[in-house]
Amino acid sequence: MKRRRDRERCQVNQAYWARNPQGPFATLIGVAATYCHPEAYDGAYEDLAVRARSAAPDDEEIRVFRAELQEALADPGQLPDNELFKAVQFSDGSNEAFLCRLWHDLYGNKP
Amino acid sequence: MAEIRNGPEEPDRENRPEPTPSDDTGAARELVEPRSRAEYSADLERHVVLLSFEPRRAGLPDVSIKDATAYLDKHHTERPWLSVARDCPPEVQRVFAALDQGGGHAHIRHEGWVTEEMNECRVRNLEDPAQLDPAKRLAGVDGVKVSDQPHRCGGIVTRITDPEAFATAFARGIEHPDVRAALESLGPVPRPVSLPISDVLGDDGHKFCSGWRLEPVSGNMLEALANRAAWVAGNRDVPEPRTRPVETFEGGTVTYVFRASTGGCHEISTMYVDPPDEETT
Repeated sequence: MKRRRDRERCQVNQAYWARNPQGPFATLIGVAATYCHPEAYDGAYEDLAVRARSAAPDDEEIRVFRAELQEALADPGQLPDNELFKAVQFSDGSNEAFLCRLWHDLYGNKP
Repeated sequence: MAEIRNGPEEPDRENRPEPTPSDDTGAARELVEPRSRAEYSADLERHVVLLSFEPRRAGLPDVSIKDATAYLDKHHTERPWLSVARDCPPEVQRVFAALDQGGGHAHIRHEGWVTEEMNECRVRNLEDPAQLDPAKRLAGVDGVKVSDQPHRCGGIVTRITDPEAFATAFARGIEHPDVRAALESLGPVPRPVSLPISDVLGDDGHKFCSGWRLEPVSGNMLEALANRAAWVAGNRDVPEPRTRPVETFEGGTVTYVFRASTGGCHEISTMYVDPPDEETT
């Protein structure tokens, strides 16, 4: 019984986007964690920029990411408590400052 | 009953010599098996996980146990993170040898060869333990990235202090369904996967973990990281970063981060432990 419970428990990915796949800004937070966290691989941030700028029409993840990034920039207060910072560990000082830098680096102009 | 007890066949209890405690008995038992049944079971399971580890399933080059030992012997001087594994069982050595021939850095930054002092300097001053040039380390130059880039880290730095536990976390993690899906995917780099430490290393797994965290500035970790970046850049108008040890990893997670593998799928870029959340933002 304990073994079965252990196996069931082991199925749980604790990341925000896995616990809340339909949750607010799950794609933005998941993509940012993948490419912008200090522990991401060397060149990850540059890879995100390339992917974002030349997104294939069927790259649904990037389409949603861009839309959520715009939405978060319009009102950073909508972001779920501390989840963006916890997932990305940026040094920009605020969610808004990080999101502004991200948009600028990926898309250049203002949203 | 009394008749039987007092019969001629009954041993003479009255004049029986006192049993002399033997110093050897306990020692011999200890030599044979000092572990509890639960500990034995956990060790056995860990041994099986490590024995059945297939580097190829982690996007790493295949390494035999014999080749692993030779690899560690050959490279441990210039790659000091390999030294800790040299006294470990061969199956642990194989995990380290395979990891070292892949593109990830988990065993370089998040394992027991990193001392407490190195880890504390990393989170306080962005000194990278993977940087083997002392001058560059002090200057905050990353030891893994190409072209002398500045080192970065979050508000917490951690390691698994025991090489066998580290190897187990890696070998067991790559068999988790979410990690397998990520490793076998062909598309863009998959998102990190975070699993409970207890699921990967057992109920006592948190005891193998250690780490340091930045002290919040004005009760705020966002500000603490910005403050550290400014301090390291030479700004002395901000307070000097302060740190404290992580109190406990009980209830924490192991995170697996991915990168493209030369084989076409993905491999683990790094693996690190985190303590449970604090309320500080």
